[in-house]
Amino acid sequence: MAGNRRNQSTAIRLVPALKALFLCLLIGGSGVGYVWQKNQIHELGRQIKKQEIALEELQRLNKQRRDKLDELRSPPRLDARIMQLNLGLVLPQQAQIVRLPEPTPAESTGRAARGLPERFYADQQASSRRNNLTAARVAVG
Amino acid sequence: MPGKLQHRRLWLVAFFLGMAFTALAYRLVDLQVLRHEELRAESAKDTQRAFSLKPRRGDIRDIRGNLLATSIPVKNVAADPSFLHGRHEEVARILAPFLEMNEAELAALMEPKVRLDQKGKATAIRFVLLKKNVPVETWQQLQGKIVQTYAVPKGKKIARAELAIRDHLRAAITAGDGQYRVYPNHQLAAHVLGFVGTDEQTPEGRCIVSPGREGIELTLNGPLSGARGWRVTEVDGGKREVVAFREQDVAPRAGLNVVLSVDLRLQQIVEEELTEAMRKHTPISASAIVIRPRTGEILALATMPNFDPNRLGDSKPEHRRNRVICDIAEPGSTFKIVVVAGALNDGIVRLSDTFDCENGKFFYAGRTLHDSHSGYGVLTVQSIIAKSSNIGASKIGIKMGDGRLYDYIRAFGFGQPTGIPLVGERSGIVHPLKNWTKVSITSIPMGQEIAVTPLQMVMAMCAIANDGWLVRPRLVNRLVDENNEVVFQAEPEKIRQVISAEAARQMITALKAVVSADGTAPKAKLDYYSVAGKTGTAQKAVAGRYSHDQFFSSFIGFFPAASPEVRILVVSDEPSGRHYGGQSAAPVFKTIAERAASHLKIRPDIQPAVKTESLAQANSAAPRRAALEPGL
Repeated sequence: MAGNRRNQSTAIRLVPALKALFLCLLIGGSGVGYVWQKNQIHELGRQIKKQEIALEELQRLNKQRRDKLDELRSPPRLDARIMQLNLGLVLPQQAQIVRLPEPTPAESTGRAARGLPERFYADQQASSRRNNLTAARVAVG
Repeated sequence: MPGKLQHRRLWLVAFFLGMAFTALAYRLVDLQVLRHEELRAESAKDTQRAFSLKPRRGDIRDIRGNLLATSIPVKNVAADPSFLHGRHEEVARILAPFLEMNEAELAALMEPKVRLDQKGKATAIRFVLLKKNVPVETWQQLQGKIVQTYAVPKGKKIARAELAIRDHLRAAITAGDGQYRVYPNHQLAAHVLGFVGTDEQTPEGRCIVSPGREGIELTLNGPLSGARGWRVTEVDGGKREVVAFREQDVAPRAGLNVVLSVDLRLQQIVEEELTEAMRKHTPISASAIVIRPRTGEILALATMPNFDPNRLGDSKPEHRRNRVICDIAEPGSTFKIVVVAGALNDGIVRLSDTFDCENGKFFYAGRTLHDSHSGYGVLTVQSIIAKSSNIGASKIGIKMGDGRLYDYIRAFGFGQPTGIPLVGERSGIVHPLKNWTKVSITSIPMGQEIAVTPLQMVMAMCAIANDGWLVRPRLVNRLVDENNEVVFQAEPEKIRQVISAEAARQMITALKAVVSADGTAPKAKLDYYSVAGKTGTAQKAVAGRYSHDQFFSSFIGFFPAASPEVRILVVSDEPSGRHYGGQSAAPVFKTIAERAASHLKIRPDIQPAVKTESLAQANSAAPRRAALEPGL
């Protein structure tokens, strides 16, 4: 036994040491990695929860604003506002509404035969409609 | 070399170690294998939680998208008295202003209490509901206040016990999610919408969130409710969810949104006019329906007095009854349309045929019939309708015969529900032919010995306006999901053709005469539209006899007569003063019709001469007026 020890070198054997170190690092690294990963999962979970709460809150606020908009646009609310501001807006009476008859094809053909360009006719129609709309708006007012 | 003693010691240590490891192995097998299920369940009980995720109840909107009913998220605030450590009065002081409750009442609620379980063991009550339907904003403010009050200030030394108490106090007040149903237009269309009840649990343990109790809320409770979701997850010591251990997560499916055929503006017009009629004639109740005869779409349905579904406790039960479908009464003269339409359809009579109305007194089967207005001599069929002669209608009925009259009554839909999607609709009373007496053939044509709902009456009249086709009333236009995708679209449903188109046209001619100067309802005449309609004044039966001072007054009319766009029924129960339908109900019809025509932009079919001039003036003066009165 003593003879064998004498024959052995006192220098540290590098390869086994490195192997041991590698193994330790591997085991230690795995452990740290596992904990880090768990920590990350927990942190992500926390963030997911936070985002879910934020999303829920945003959806709630969104709904609240949509409801408010609906309320502001509802006919009873508009009526109350008109009365409050004393605007005097009412639906037009039948006598205040001017209705134009739809142009018949025969009428259109007649105009074409008289040499009036379609563009001119369309302009006339648009102008007439504009006047009519003005009249209707006045009636509404 | 080790001696014998060392060997013995070695074996002894090995033996004890072996025993210890065997015991540990046994324990391991016991815990991990033999008691696996039991321990797993116990462990799960401590950490695992299953949450039921309530779906949002769908909205109800009118045909133009106006919001009629919606659900808003709220919190139900609760306390765990065992976490308060006797400081319930102090906590009550904090909570009271936020919950708008009395401080002493809150403190009493949060006092520690125990209850005895089935084995007689006392256990502390750990859940006390403090207030329901607390706005989320209020809850957030309350939460902030609690955290602020019981927070541990940095750098300040606080005893360990006090720290634990503060932790508990912060966790003592909790809130569960809830929903609160809101009807933004208050009374408007209340009888159509109905209302919801409080959350309840079925015998199978299923939670129903705010189930519908009346109206559309009840009929369409299923689609409106949606489907609940659930989440199985784990919580930490502070009852916070550990998202990483979330096992099942099924999102709830929100309820479908219901779009009604009702037009909110028109509903408002109808309710305003009925309110005015209630003020003027002080009846027990007044009801009105506005309907499109071609499609059966109900545009407005109102009953006065009404109620606010937001404040259900303030209303009387009878005010919550939808009289249009729940109340039955003898229809009176409006029912004459059935007998005359049937006789015209069978070719038994023509509009120009004449009947002797016996100057207001007609003896038949031992009973004397009277005309309610005044005695008439010889009248044409058209005049019988126009003047609403009971004797004339009875004589047409006699000529028609029991069997055919009964057939037409059933064909027009009387004695059976119309199929409107509202719960509580009554069938009315139509006696079987075998139970008819000898005078039935004279009583039924003038609207006696039969009981109908106002809706049945209006649907029968719709058949006349609709070339003889009876249609099913529609209240729901479509169901849409959260993304506004149409899930269900209702289509007009024709039930059967009761009379021919020609007979229907003849009936319209006769009904147009009702609003003439010679008819019973000149007050229903419109300036720009031809109106066809019928009045009804039914005596109420009191103690088995017809009352002479209690009446149901009604008017059903449609316009424009040639191409009906809108049909309106107005019913008034015991109007004071003028009790005839032509006097109390017809003027209400007129005002509703005029406003409805403007709102729905119905094209006039008649043009009064005097109005034509003013029309021309209006046209020429319009731009000038616009310049002069820009603020109009």
